[in-house]
Amino acid sequence: MNRKGLDGLPYYLGVRSLGDMATKDDRVAVLNIMGGESRQVTPVSHAFSGGNIAFGTSPGRSGQQLKTPCGNIPVYNDVREGIDAGHRFNTGVVYLPPAGVRDGVAELIRVNPDVNKIIIITEKVAVHDAREVRAIAQANSVDIIGGNCLGVADSWNRVRIGGALGGDKPDESLLKGSIAIFSNSGGFTTTIALYLATEGWGTTTLISSGKDVYIHYSARDFAHAFANDERSKAAVLYIEPGGYYEQNLDFRKPVVACVVGRWKTKLTRAVGHAGAMAGTGDRAEDKERWFMEAFGVDGLFTPDNPRVSRKGAVVTNIADIPAALSAVMKLNDIASDFETRGSLSLKAWIANDQGLDLPDDLALAPVTAPDPYAEQITSLGSQIGAAVPRQTMKDRSGASVMDATTQVTSVHGHSVLNLALEPMEAVFALPLVQQIATENDGVMLDVAVAAEVNLVGDPVLVATDAAREAGNAPNTIMSAAVSIIGPNRVERAMSCARILIDRFAYSGLSDARDEEFDLSAIEIDDAVKAHFRASEEDADDPRADAMLKAIHERGGRSVFLRFIESLGVPLSRDAVLAAISTTIAWAPLMQKRISRLTAETLPWYLRLYGVMIGSVIPSEHHEHGALCGIPRKERFGTWTVADLAFLALTGKKPSQAEARPFQVLIGLLISNGPGAISAQGAKGAVAADGPQTPDRVQINKAMAGFLTHTGFAHGGNGFEGIAFLLDQFRDTGLTDPTDPNHDIDLKSMARDFARAYLQAKRKAKASGQDGPGALPGIHHPVFKGKPVNYDPRERFIAEDMETRGEYNIFHAFYCELAQALFDVGASPSVFCVNVDAVIAALLLALLWKDYNEGRLSDSDLEAAAFTLFLFSRMIGAAAEIDDHLNRGRNMDTRTPASACQFVS
Amino acid sequence: MQITGMLHGNRLLKYVGFPTTEVLGPAASEDEIRDLIDRHGLIFIKPLFKGGVGKKGKAGLIGKATDLETALAEKERLYFVEHRHGNTVAKANGVSFEAGVPAEHEVYFSITDDTRYRAPTITLTHRGGVDIEELPKSDIATVPFEALTGLKAFVVANALSDLKAPKEVISPLVQQLPKLWELAHNYGMTMLELNPIRMRPGPGGRLTPVACDFKCEFDRDDPRVARLDLPGHLFASDVSAFEQEVNQLRTHQGQSDVFVINERGTILAPTFGGGANSLVTEVLGDSAIISSDFGGNPPYEKMKSVAAICYRHFLKQANVLFIIGGKSNNTDIYETFRGMGDALREHFSEHGPTPLFVVVGRGGPNLVRGMGSLAETCDALGLPYRFFGFDSAISEVVAYAKRVDAWMSTGGRAQVAGRLGLDSAA
Repeated sequence: MNRKGLDGLPYYLGVRSLGDMATKDDRVAVLNIMGGESRQVTPVSHAFSGGNIAFGTSPGRSGQQLKTPCGNIPVYNDVREGIDAGHRFNTGVVYLPPAGVRDGVAELIRVNPDVNKIIIITEKVAVHDAREVRAIAQANSVDIIGGNCLGVADSWNRVRIGGALGGDKPDESLLKGSIAIFSNSGGFTTTIALYLATEGWGTTTLISSGKDVYIHYSARDFAHAFANDERSKAAVLYIEPGGYYEQNLDFRKPVVACVVGRWKTKLTRAVGHAGAMAGTGDRAEDKERWFMEAFGVDGLFTPDNPRVSRKGAVVTNIADIPAALSAVMKLNDIASDFETRGSLSLKAWIANDQGLDLPDDLALAPVTAPDPYAEQITSLGSQIGAAVPRQTMKDRSGASVMDATTQVTSVHGHSVLNLALEPMEAVFALPLVQQIATENDGVMLDVAVAAEVNLVGDPVLVATDAAREAGNAPNTIMSAAVSIIGPNRVERAMSCARILIDRFAYSGLSDARDEEFDLSAIEIDDAVKAHFRASEEDADDPRADAMLKAIHERGGRSVFLRFIESLGVPLSRDAVLAAISTTIAWAPLMQKRISRLTAETLPWYLRLYGVMIGSVIPSEHHEHGALCGIPRKERFGTWTVADLAFLALTGKKPSQAEARPFQVLIGLLISNGPGAISAQGAKGAVAADGPQTPDRVQINKAMAGFLTHTGFAHGGNGFEGIAFLLDQFRDTGLTDPTDPNHDIDLKSMARDFARAYLQAKRKAKASGQDGPGALPGIHHPVFKGKPVNYDPRERFIAEDMETRGEYNIFHAFYCELAQALFDVGASPSVFCVNVDAVIAALLLALLWKDYNEGRLSDSDLEAAAFTLFLFSRMIGAAAEIDDHLNRGRNMDTRTPASACQFVS
Repeated sequence: MQITGMLHGNRLLKYVGFPTTEVLGPAASEDEIRDLIDRHGLIFIKPLFKGGVGKKGKAGLIGKATDLETALAEKERLYFVEHRHGNTVAKANGVSFEAGVPAEHEVYFSITDDTRYRAPTITLTHRGGVDIEELPKSDIATVPFEALTGLKAFVVANALSDLKAPKEVISPLVQQLPKLWELAHNYGMTMLELNPIRMRPGPGGRLTPVACDFKCEFDRDDPRVARLDLPGHLFASDVSAFEQEVNQLRTHQGQSDVFVINERGTILAPTFGGGANSLVTEVLGDSAIISSDFGGNPPYEKMKSVAAICYRHFLKQANVLFIIGGKSNNTDIYETFRGMGDALREHFSEHGPTPLFVVVGRGGPNLVRGMGSLAETCDALGLPYRFFGFDSAISEVVAYAKRVDAWMSTGGRAQVAGRLGLDSAA
């Protein structure tokens, strides 16, 4: 094609004037238009420019369209297809990944003889490819702008081509005026335009040149076009070290050059801008000198020492550009384009000193931001709780994560190992309020759950009895119970919580335990009182008063309880539950760590927790005023959640020695991350109800989803380890598994078993039959391959036990067995004792006495192991339910049909 | 990413069949060294540095030997020698033994991309073997050539004619030098320099150009470098453990270009945009721990991962977490701030709180939402903060961060520690 370039240049340059750089007549094709960056930027460019994009390409996406505010842009597989469809364009924009840029440029040039401008947005284009792009473009008379740039814009023509100059609101910074901008930094192109406005200067054409080694549209090229552009009365250049692009330039009009990077000379590598590395003679100092010589000034411009000439000024701080430009223009008798707008002084938009005593020059008071930001900041302040963006949550969780290396799961940043060291009441609310409960919160939770476990007179007991009699496993029995705790059973408690949040959200209350908080400013009316008042049906329910009394006696403090007590009406149990849950949720809600939705639904979870524990206890133990013979006053007044769970499991309160391993077991089993089947069940149940209309999501059904996704293989398998240990210890005469002074020779036991195991293996191999299976509690697919292997979770618990001087014979046996298996040649290395072994060992030790004395059967042990798993995992399930409810999208756990397989 | 010296240069030059001097590595046995001396008469012993270390000859770091005893003594002297060049101190680890090449002519040759021409350019002189800067310009040919055509024999011939080079060197150089373009261009180099190339007389008097020293620089963004299958340790000194970790996340979607400026700095400044990086690096100086450009609209997960690595390495020593950039054009402020905030929250959960003041200067899409999210995190963690919008001069915000750093160093850190319930500000 060989169009003729501009005269007087030793290379091809097509753009004669800046006014021709981005015009209303330009028609654009965007390569990789559906890429992540283009999808965001291109619609804004298209709308701002009045619809200048003819089409885009994206291989394999032909027929799709990119939606924009001013009409959809058609997408084709390639440029040829777009042209064949009748589109014409003269400007290409390249959003391709780095490896595809060179080929994209070649495609644009070879397929479309009309192309005269190509803008490369892509960063990290190899120098190799940039060399060839330059050669291709020169040979074919095409101007290239970039790469690693944000394209070009014209404030007069209201056109921007390529990248995102002006961001998502180009009108804010592309103000019509008389100054051209050429900048090595894309970000600063817009920032400089904004800064200029503070001195009343608008812009003509803005060029983000990029700062790769090859700057395809350089300062020299800009100088020509600037000189020929009548609209541009002056220019601002933002220049970094490296390269000789700015040497010996003649601008013929005033220019302010901002040269940065003196300090960078000390560095050995460029960051972001690959070409911003100076060699000899092209350092920042050299470039400052080039410009100073061109402008005839003998130093840099600073506000204190404003050195300028009619030709220009050199600054090293972009904040000095507006003042320098005004000074230069004053010498040229050129007035600013419009009135000054704002200033560049420090203005904090959002601040919090956290009560610290800051010096005056740091304690800058927040000022009102310009519109529309001020309005947004105001609404930010009025928003209660966190606002989490929704996304597809299939196989994802914002609550739990399992570290693939250590196999340790964390819930809201707390590893289950650490949770194992916390009392159950401290971790009970963690999934919802995202923090370990304080002592005060612990009291609240203990009483809240204690008030829900006794189900006397409740149809839940009928359902659980029926389910139990039908031979169901513990999870199914529990499912029957939770199915009954539907929305109507918690509606009033949740609405009480909602009212409390409404009344206190803007009251300045930050600590829900604040005994001094003045309640007089909280608005109370009859409607509020009616909500909290006990209705006729529950007027006889003594639990509300008992709860309040118990909390007071246990030293619990709550502004919300104080508030509802001040209403002077008989309170319902729902009202007390809501006050308790709001107390626990308040700090994280105010700190925007949890959403308002979570705080409002917390009573539902607490009620479910209580009912799930209560449902395990056979109906005959539920009596008016007593559970398993424990009077209400005692249960409310002194029992913890862990005590109640242990009671449900064993029929008694745990001793001090029993409480600790029980707590460890609960902590260890809380979660295995979002991939666990139980978590998937919970998440699927939420997705199916549609979390985008959260009011319709049945949290009790989600709990049933978790429960129905446990079973004899997932949750019930904890018994395998117990069964194995029972086989080994049944006839040993063991009485106390926690007493290290036993007379059982564990070494011999382990060795004998290992030999027998090896023999059985060999025999099976010789006969070609199935051998003895893998041993429960020994070996792990991740923690293997070393001469001696350890499961870090087992080590964590074992070391904690050792520190506390605790002993467990079953665990000790497991350790001997792992060694013995290796010693006799049954294993190639010393396999690890895994965390399941710890669980089996701790649980069996807890139940051994009752088992040994005949009060528990083998099947009772199995049920106990399964139930313990359910108690623990309901905490983890609550985390997933709440997370999915807050973050997920409707039906987002489904698998697309294309990813499903038919198996015949 | 530089390589200097013939130990590796030898191997690279063989890819394109360019003649090289014979080289033995640090593991050479005494017999092999003696044999090298026997065959060539003179050998050079050169310390091996990782990366680019120049001016070794001037620093007296090139040993010569004509017998084994001297060679071994030089090996001992140079094996772990330290070399200071400007601000950089490099420590050798090993030596190479390179055969001397008898020659009358020494040639300097390099290929690089010259921004004056925006084209690959050769620099050539037949008066090589010295610093090129020391020669008069009339003795040096600087010739751009077209990248698609490549370095052709006529380009070299014309240059040598212009230089009035001795006739006997022209033909061998015209024949051999174009091969070097194949090496530089096809294996991702941004610079290749051979100095000296010694013109070794062969049978019949014909000269052969023999590369006797080698220097090249690779383009870290060019996948062609991987074709050479160079061992990673060659560039290991280029990067710290932190940089290695964080640069694993380096893709074109979100730049995450980072390197350590001062391991003892006190301001941890995730910077957005190459321009902001220049300004911040300049103004913060030695207070800055890292120099970074996290622009390019990194997605949430990537931002969180990068931030987590930064925190793990440097948060404990930092007084100020300084998140700074201009008014972003495309980078989503909410996504990036949420990523950094969540990583901070998780860091505190895992490693416990550390005294910190958070300063932000930023503009761009979803700005207030992003600031709100980060403010929530700071509130939850009990950290003091000041967030500035794009209407504050970025340089003023940087100066403010420096003032906060100074206050933290003189008692502020202890105050923040007290607020966080920590016993010590350390």
